[in-house]
Amino acid sequence: MTAIAPHNDQLLAVKKLRVHFFTGAGVVQAVDGVDFAVSPRETLGLVGESGSGKTISSLALLRLIPRPGKIIGGEIIFKHEDLIAKREEEMIKIRGKNIAMIFQNPAYSLNPIYSIGDQLGEILTWHEKLSRQAANERVAELLQLVGITDPFSRLRQFPHELSGGMKQRVCIARALLCSPPLVLADEPTTNLDVTIQAQILDLLQELKERFHMSMILVTHDMGVVARMADRITVMYAGRICETATARTIFENPRHPYTQALLATMPRVDHSYSDGKTRRLPVIPGRIPNLIEPPSGCRFHPRCPASDDECARILPELLSLEEGHWVSCIKAG
Amino acid sequence: MTAAEQPSTRKPPPKHHGTRRLGMWVLGWQRFRRNKTGLLGLVLVGIVFLVALFCPLLAPYDPNDQSAMLEFRSKAPPSWKNPLGTDRMGYDVASRVIYGAPTALVVGLGSMAVAAVIGIILGGFSGYIGGMADEFLMRFTEFFLVVPIFIVILVMVRIFGIVVVGTPLEEIPYLNLSTIILILGVFGWPPIARMARAEFLRLKEMEFVEAARCIGVGRAGIIFRHILPNALPSLIVIIALGIGGSILMEAMISFLGFGDPKAISWGQLLSFNYEFLKIAPWASIAPGMAIFLTVLGFNLLADGLTDAFNPRLKE
Amino acid sequence: MGIVRFIIRRLIFMVVLVIGVSILIFFMINAIGNPIEILLAERPGISPEVIESVKQYYRLDRSLTEQYLSWLGNVLHLNFGNSIVYNQPVGSMLVTWGWETVKIQVLAILISLALAIFIGVTAATRQYSKIDFGVMSTALLGRSLPGFFLGILLILTFSYWLGIFPSYGAYSTRSPLMGSALLDSLWHMVLPVMMLTYFNTATLTLLIRSNMVDVLRMDFIMAARASGLSAGRVVYRHALKNAFIPALTYLAILFGLMLGTAPVTETVFTWPGLGFLYITAIQQLDYPVIMGENLIITLMLVIANLLTDIAYVFIDPRIRLE
Repeated sequence: MTAIAPHNDQLLAVKKLRVHFFTGAGVVQAVDGVDFAVSPRETLGLVGESGSGKTISSLALLRLIPRPGKIIGGEIIFKHEDLIAKREEEMIKIRGKNIAMIFQNPAYSLNPIYSIGDQLGEILTWHEKLSRQAANERVAELLQLVGITDPFSRLRQFPHELSGGMKQRVCIARALLCSPPLVLADEPTTNLDVTIQAQILDLLQELKERFHMSMILVTHDMGVVARMADRITVMYAGRICETATARTIFENPRHPYTQALLATMPRVDHSYSDGKTRRLPVIPGRIPNLIEPPSGCRFHPRCPASDDECARILPELLSLEEGHWVSCIKAG
Repeated sequence: MTAAEQPSTRKPPPKHHGTRRLGMWVLGWQRFRRNKTGLLGLVLVGIVFLVALFCPLLAPYDPNDQSAMLEFRSKAPPSWKNPLGTDRMGYDVASRVIYGAPTALVVGLGSMAVAAVIGIILGGFSGYIGGMADEFLMRFTEFFLVVPIFIVILVMVRIFGIVVVGTPLEEIPYLNLSTIILILGVFGWPPIARMARAEFLRLKEMEFVEAARCIGVGRAGIIFRHILPNALPSLIVIIALGIGGSILMEAMISFLGFGDPKAISWGQLLSFNYEFLKIAPWASIAPGMAIFLTVLGFNLLADGLTDAFNPRLKE
Repeated sequence: MGIVRFIIRRLIFMVVLVIGVSILIFFMINAIGNPIEILLAERPGISPEVIESVKQYYRLDRSLTEQYLSWLGNVLHLNFGNSIVYNQPVGSMLVTWGWETVKIQVLAILISLALAIFIGVTAATRQYSKIDFGVMSTALLGRSLPGFFLGILLILTFSYWLGIFPSYGAYSTRSPLMGSALLDSLWHMVLPVMMLTYFNTATLTLLIRSNMVDVLRMDFIMAARASGLSAGRVVYRHALKNAFIPALTYLAILFGLMLGTAPVTETVFTWPGLGFLYITAIQQLDYPVIMGENLIITLMLVIANLLTDIAYVFIDPRIRLE
């Protein structure tokens, strides 16, 4: 299969990535043959329900799959090198320096017992071999960039002294410390107040352009990707459903799951309260047990368009048009 | 919030109480059954109970039979005649160890019964009422937690032994052992009180208690029919740990020579035979082993119960 | 400033507690009647001079409250009275016997701390592995194994059976090992320290392991790894320090209980320390020694608690002093 991206000068290409968790109850096929790619300066939205494997896929890029999970197959080509083949010591130089990550819950992603200056400075002294003084200056500079006032006095503060939005700004600053070409943002706004969500998204957008970065935005929120992403990859139960430009996904979704996801989005131009029939739709059923996933297409038990074929045939990811890929036998 | 109780809080009608409570225990047992260490604990505790119940049938000799002494077979190693050997006074070690089981259980259950009554009343009161009473009782509990209990108990046991001389109390059989049980109970309540307080604090805010209050159930009814049954699983865990702890404490008190000379307890046997460890090690190993397995049994049982009723606490 | 006021508040609690326990023991002892009469009844051979010195020290002609206050006043002047059994000043006895206890207990706590950190971290980073399972089961067994029974097994194995280490005492009565007093002393310490170490390590390891397992699962650990820090640095600098905070309390308990567990250890190994002294004092109703030891034991507990509280303030920035 050819790589799934509009350009050839890809920064990252993930091919047939498989991550399984070897638990006492059985093997959980959390990510099972996933392909996506990111070009320089591009934002890729990775969308799916919780449990669809999107967070695991992004952790796999850093080779940080928690026990008892393992990457059991595929390639992660970053800057023309396969990360899966790299040794742990080489990965240490990739993490934070080349690929950084912003986590879902800012309240828990800062170490409570070290000051902001200590834990951010540590990363700089570790990667860039800067002196304490130089590291402090660089940290303060970044704190300023992410919109934190009076950065030098913040260096001495501890995480519990900051608000949730502040913490997420600090986490963003941490991700940008070494100016990595690729940032993974895992639900960066899910745990924040609505007003702060917008600020953080704007900040990410601004910084992405300023630092010429690429970004993978992992989220379940179609509204967030609509605002941020250049291209969107939709995942379901450890597989890719559909990949296309953001515009195509919203205007011409071809996979039934993408269509269902879009239908669950509340829209201001619809009214849900007065009519009897126009309630906000939900996708019936729940995400399948990935120890014994459904045969064929993993979405078929919940899919309104499925038939016997869907339970039998494992759909391949096929190109419908330039840059639009769908894995559904009905979509052809 | 334990998972065991989550379903129950969603079904507030009090008329379902019977089935709801049953559901909690049945669910707990189903989880407990799958826990190998918990089951091992249950088996060990079960064995101790059976041995205690049937000790006259199981023991090859009367525990006070010193006839081996007359045959010059004191301190004899294990043989067909004396499966665990004889000790320095010609007693059959196996029989003495078997007769130690009821003593251990009486100590563990007796002292924890005392501790549970004090602890549940104080802790429950503290958690349910709150405010100044809570503050005062918790300071009081903290004091008891910091006091070097074992050291104080040793002095108390010794002094009590002197005080009763010449009083009618002296006539009570096993007076010394009863004193130890009572003291262990009186000093053993703080952990139970803490747990009871935490549980009462948590449960009194729950919807089903609110619901009971709304339909006019009285304070006593709420405490005894609605809160206490739901607090029981956690309390049982801490009491099971306490039983093992008390048995160990009694063993140490007796080992140090402050036990009841008339009672046959494992600690007493150790203390009695320790001087002859080199010549007759079996007489010390057997009671030591009995203490170890009993305490282990109660600890494993408590672990298993924690897993069964508080699955969230365990990975 | 905050920290000073905090320490002062804890100090007040400390004084209240120490005085509370000493009152408890004092009135308990007096509850049985006139100490002198009981002493004479229990130990007929006691000399009149000793009786007189006890009378003097305790002001037995005064009321109970005055007696207690006079004892407290004496103690504040570091005068603990004279031991009835040994006829020596209790203060200096506490120092000489106390040293024997402290040297094995502190050594055991330090060894178990190092062991527990190493084993606990190793097990936690390999959760569910065979190593983890082995560590967990050994520690669970260890928690239930009564200390004195372990001591008995150690003596049987290493003294009687293998004949490597001495089974009792702190020093050789005849010639010291290889002519060196230090070696001889260390030689005698091995078995008691082993027993105490095993016991402390079991609980401490379980504690550190379970805290580590919890901390390692937290987002900030993953975030530190994702920032490129090495696994070792993340485990020891970021996770361990967080996981160690709850273990501090237990460490304080170990230090505080040092003298509380001493009676059993020192009876098993016939070790000439405070625990052994305490047992004989209770058996022979040596009141000045009982009172003095109780004071020291409570003080140790309270000081250990105070030190932990202060350590928390320095390690965990989240703790507010007010």
